[in-house]
Amino acid sequence: MLSKKWAWFALIVFVGSILLSACEGETVEVEVTTVVKETVIEKETVIEKETVIEKETVIEKETVIEKETVIEVVEVTPVVEEDPTTLPRDETMYFNGLQWGSVSCWNPYSQNCNNAMAIVQGANARVPMFESPYLYNMLDGQQYPLLADGPYEWNDAHTEITFKLKAAAKWSDGTPVTAEDVAYTWASHVKYNTGVGSGNAAYIDAIEAVDDLTVVIKAKLNDEGQAVNPLIVGSYASSNYVLQKAWTQALEERTGEDATEFMADTAEDVVYSGPYHQFFADDQKVVLVRDDNYWGQDASMWGELPTPKYLAHTIFKDNVAGSIALAQGEVDVSQQFNSDIQVLWLNYGLPVSTYLPEAPYGIGASLPTAFYNLNSNGLDQVAVRKAIAMAVDYPTIIANAMTNQSATFDQVPRSLMNPTPGEQAMYDHDAVADLQWAGNDIEGAKALLDAAGIVDSDGDGWREYNGEKLSYIATCPNGWSDWQAAIEVVAAAGKEIGIDITTNFPEWAVYQTIVTKSDAPLPEGYDIFMMWSNGAGPTEPWGRIRNMLSSEWVGMASNWNGNWGQYSNPDVDALIQAIPNESDPDALKEIYTELVRIYLSDIPSFTLMYRPDLFHAVNESVWTNFPHQDDGTDPPVPPMVCVDGWSIACLYNVTLVSQ
Amino acid sequence: MKHTLQQVFRSGKFVVGFSIFVAILLIVIIYPLIITDSPLEIIAQGTFFPPGIYVNAYDSIDSATHYTLKLDDAAAKRIASKLNEDDRLAMQEWLVASGIPENEIDTADTPKLLDQWENNFDPKKKIDGMTNAKRNYYIRLDASVDGILSTEGAIIAAKNPDTGALEEKGIIEQSDYVNVREVPNIRVLLLGTDNFGRDVLTELVSATGVSLQIGFVAGIVATLIGLTLGLLAGYVGGLVDDATMFVANLFTVIPSFVLLVLISFSIGQEKRGATTIAVVIGLTSWVWTARAVRSQVLSLRHRDHVNLSKLSGHSIVHIILTDILPYIASYVVMALILQISSGILTEAGLSILGLGPKTTEVPTLGLMMNWAMIYQSHILGKWWALFPVIFTIALISFSLNLMNTGLDQVFNPTIRD
Amino acid sequence: MKGYRKYFLNKLGWFSVTLVAAFLLNFILPRLMPGDPVAAIVARLAQGMSDATGVQAIYQQYSDLFGTNKPMHEQFFLYVRNVARGDFGFSFSQYPRTVADVIASSIWWTLILQLPAILVGWLIGNFLGALAAYRKGIFDKILMPFSIFASGLPAFGMAIVLLVVLGVNLGWFPTSGGYGFDMIPNRSWDFLWSAFVHYQLPFWSIVLIIIGGQAIGMRSMAIYELNADYVKYARFMGIKDRKILRYVFRNAMLPQITGLALSIGTMVGGALVAETIFSYPGLGSTILTAVKGGDYPLISATALIITLMVLITTFIIEMLYGFIDPRIKAAQSED
Repeated sequence: MLSKKWAWFALIVFVGSILLSACEGETVEVEVTTVVKETVIEKETVIEKETVIEKETVIEKETVIEKETVIEVVEVTPVVEEDPTTLPRDETMYFNGLQWGSVSCWNPYSQNCNNAMAIVQGANARVPMFESPYLYNMLDGQQYPLLADGPYEWNDAHTEITFKLKAAAKWSDGTPVTAEDVAYTWASHVKYNTGVGSGNAAYIDAIEAVDDLTVVIKAKLNDEGQAVNPLIVGSYASSNYVLQKAWTQALEERTGEDATEFMADTAEDVVYSGPYHQFFADDQKVVLVRDDNYWGQDASMWGELPTPKYLAHTIFKDNVAGSIALAQGEVDVSQQFNSDIQVLWLNYGLPVSTYLPEAPYGIGASLPTAFYNLNSNGLDQVAVRKAIAMAVDYPTIIANAMTNQSATFDQVPRSLMNPTPGEQAMYDHDAVADLQWAGNDIEGAKALLDAAGIVDSDGDGWREYNGEKLSYIATCPNGWSDWQAAIEVVAAAGKEIGIDITTNFPEWAVYQTIVTKSDAPLPEGYDIFMMWSNGAGPTEPWGRIRNMLSSEWVGMASNWNGNWGQYSNPDVDALIQAIPNESDPDALKEIYTELVRIYLSDIPSFTLMYRPDLFHAVNESVWTNFPHQDDGTDPPVPPMVCVDGWSIACLYNVTLVSQ
Repeated sequence: MKHTLQQVFRSGKFVVGFSIFVAILLIVIIYPLIITDSPLEIIAQGTFFPPGIYVNAYDSIDSATHYTLKLDDAAAKRIASKLNEDDRLAMQEWLVASGIPENEIDTADTPKLLDQWENNFDPKKKIDGMTNAKRNYYIRLDASVDGILSTEGAIIAAKNPDTGALEEKGIIEQSDYVNVREVPNIRVLLLGTDNFGRDVLTELVSATGVSLQIGFVAGIVATLIGLTLGLLAGYVGGLVDDATMFVANLFTVIPSFVLLVLISFSIGQEKRGATTIAVVIGLTSWVWTARAVRSQVLSLRHRDHVNLSKLSGHSIVHIILTDILPYIASYVVMALILQISSGILTEAGLSILGLGPKTTEVPTLGLMMNWAMIYQSHILGKWWALFPVIFTIALISFSLNLMNTGLDQVFNPTIRD
Repeated sequence: MKGYRKYFLNKLGWFSVTLVAAFLLNFILPRLMPGDPVAAIVARLAQGMSDATGVQAIYQQYSDLFGTNKPMHEQFFLYVRNVARGDFGFSFSQYPRTVADVIASSIWWTLILQLPAILVGWLIGNFLGALAAYRKGIFDKILMPFSIFASGLPAFGMAIVLLVVLGVNLGWFPTSGGYGFDMIPNRSWDFLWSAFVHYQLPFWSIVLIIIGGQAIGMRSMAIYELNADYVKYARFMGIKDRKILRYVFRNAMLPQITGLALSIGTMVGGALVAETIFSYPGLGSTILTAVKGGDYPLISATALIITLMVLITTFIIEMLYGFIDPRIKAAQSED
């Protein structure tokens, strides 16, 4: 019968396809190695010599040590652990929200690997596989030594940093981590003009190895003999990896020292110093496995191995799938924006929790900001800029767009600093209190516009400036849901005060190309646009302020740093320049306060909400003892999904729930 | 014509489908006249408020008259709402883990249980195997049962404008009730709010209207193009036919969805109004109409009355309009209905992918679903933001398809049952 | 067989012309999209670079590598030459992976999901439709509304309902992935079983809708055939229904086969909804990301594959049609 044949055919096709798709099966080869063992046998022979000298017998004892080397050839069959086909649940920690596509490569020199579990350098470097000398802790602002031994020290002239490396630090191939590795890594970054190299070349002159374990970072000096930017120099060691010189040289050889090839190499054979390395990667998941020979179990560092044997990250198509998995316990640590996450434990009683038990649930660290295109009609007027910024309903943005995962502007009045206590203490609140508007002030905004003479003269319901109706397009990339919701609220505010603001959401690929082109005025359609700011880091808040306000980015063809609205104020530039070399805390506070004052008066952009650097939610159905507020750890472990900066200490603290 | 119409309206399926469709249309037209709020207005601060009747709390205390009702079970209900069975068992668990013998704990005896709880609960106590989530739960529970046994009323105080101190304005007793009719500010949200804080029901009605519009425009565009091309290809034949079929094949072969996606993407979000999207959908889905019309025309071409017209010397256009078109009219009507239905579905599909019309201008069914899914309403149990929309789309499709089947039966008597 | 050759050649001619035109369109259309993908890649790579010349140099390098700085017709010939060699180039959005690699890793999942789903849906749908036509009565009255409803339900609606009801609330089926979240692909029964279980929800979300559509179509065709003269005549002759039915259903199935061919042809890009909602691996979502990321080579390559498959299946079916139904061949060769 026709249907039967079809059914068999379908069945065969089905089964065959599944078998074929499982083609990535690994065959485990058992290698029998021969080990040459040298045994040295020492034989001590004592020879007594009797000599008769003038009727006295002198006995001389001579000890002769004979060494015999016995060479044994022994066959060692290593105990082969069969690669498991199922990752044991009680030895694996699952992540989500970091990796959104398949891994392209394992090359730490490349910016393009899309390898979120292993290669992320920056203020909070990700250290499961590759390690930096120091780890930054966003909770207390300190840098803790990892590969380094003890804190780093500036010289008296404040132009050089010296630090030592731990003697116990080793690469995965057993060779020790030396200062030469650090120096060679930097030299390679510069030579091949990698992202790290070009980003730091203006501030770091050289990195040298004084001896095997001592590293000196020499800052670039300005005309007065001062370091151009000691802040950045001081943050280098906690932001960038140390890579093995020997491996780098091998890479250089096989790519013929060509920069493009060098950075495009997939580097499957990379040598690492961290506790985890690649185990499996395909379209569906990335798995890192622990190296039980990790040097960090030495008493000089952690004293033990990290608890989970496998770190696995399932690649989900979108946030929703990831949230479902979190709710079902298939994900332990979640870095995505889980909207209304409190519903999971309030309504469903699931063992899900965040760092803080109540709103804002996490530690805000960055300031997503709405930038003004200062060349648009009317946006060159402070009154218009301030009116729009005042009229926006921020409580609604925070409640609806961020589902309360942000501090409100009543709790943390707006400034240039993030909500962490460290940064909040760096400016004088009282001095700028009258400039810190709370938002949702429709009447105040209208009054401001009326006072500036920007009124509706032709009765169409919209105000005009210079004869032209005030009409703007507020925009952010399509698909970034919390930003889109926020922009909608901004647009709604415009209607209340008589300014026509509509929204538009171009694709990210288009948006970024336009916004980052700072060598020409922004085109139409980008009057009010949203972009991110720096989060927490050793150079903050200076780095964030520089990126938001400095005019050094204006004129760049590919500007990924900031100030996309192309604001230019020489006073601001001067203040920003002054900070890195200023060491007096009072003077610093004055400078920062002045910057906040200028920012809140000129309003080239305005903050829409506070956002954590990384979201951090955990499901405690398998693992427990994750970082949470008042968990008693000292130094406090930050909620950076257990892999960034000092947060990696979490991997050593977690335990299984059943214990 | 009249006879056909009579038959059409006697067909059960058609009538059912038609009435559902008309009902939807009427709701779409009449609802905005009664409830004049803008569908895109953000009225809620917070996401996904559940459906229900929202009574203004301030007015309940301030303006409405307070009536005293003495009801026996009021206290028990109040306590039960804050301390249900599971909570009591959890309390017992904690007390046992902290050292109190199990036989001393009686979960049914509320005062005693709460007394033991108050005396013993310590949030900082480390209990083996307790997760952080559980610890937070106990802290919340402790905060919520604080003072639930008290029978005293709540004091309402206001700030004295001169001194800034709090002054007592009144007391709300636990036996005070208000009549909902007397509260000036009440909002009925039959389907709650969505993630933006918009009233879902109002938005849904407006979105249905827009989606129907898009469906109509897309359907008409597709049918017109398909009809014209099909007629030409079928009747004129030869090179015209081959060329038309060639273009039709191209549209089939290049996956229509990819084509749609590419076009939507290229237009860019700025110009993606509802009508533009409708036209784009119409422009990419005319193929099967053209093919179907063509095959019908092919079989009609050699009929006697057509040959007669040809012999009489009528022009091609005249022949097509008077001799062929009326015979395929029934088919075209059915095709139109199907195109409308598929147009609505395609727009919804595009919106779900984020390639639909602009969000701020008008709501559409697809956009509502898109946002509901992005904000994870379906897994957070906030069903009202998503499932009514799916149901509406299904209902519209269903009614259109039912109408179509009914018409099919009228025009093809053989398949009547 | 005389008319057959003419029919065949005619079909082949149009097939080739369509192929060339489709190829051209597949190449041109993606490149008409706004946004410069090379700039996007370069922007990603150049993060942190503060000197414009450095960025410019990298842009130059990649433009040369991808060939985007050449005029369109040159790019086209390069493209044709490479495709003939099997080299589809680098994927822009997933550089340095090649397009072939990206497609190869996900196409199997799409095929396993789509092919059986289409076949099973087609079989069951046609069977039910034919049954309804034959038996009439209560069965028909229940089946019809259900089919109309199922075929009208949007694909994602079905998928979401299945996901929420069966996956999240009842927990009978897993909610995401192609296989268990804790498994590594290998040739073991555990893995196959896990893949099978994860397969269910996406599979049924597609099948149920196909069943609805097919049932209606088949029912109409079957009723039409059952009322044909030859059936009445055969019945009067006393021939058993079972024998008659074989012929009836063979005739009724013809138009359905065209539909089947089309479905199989377009199946490569078709499971987009199921893949997104169930986080199932496959080509559909790859295409979507490629479109959003302006990844011309990937879009062109996938569209090309779909084009080829549709053309080939349509061609085969039309050839078979010529054999099965001589009337069609005659009608074609008449012009």
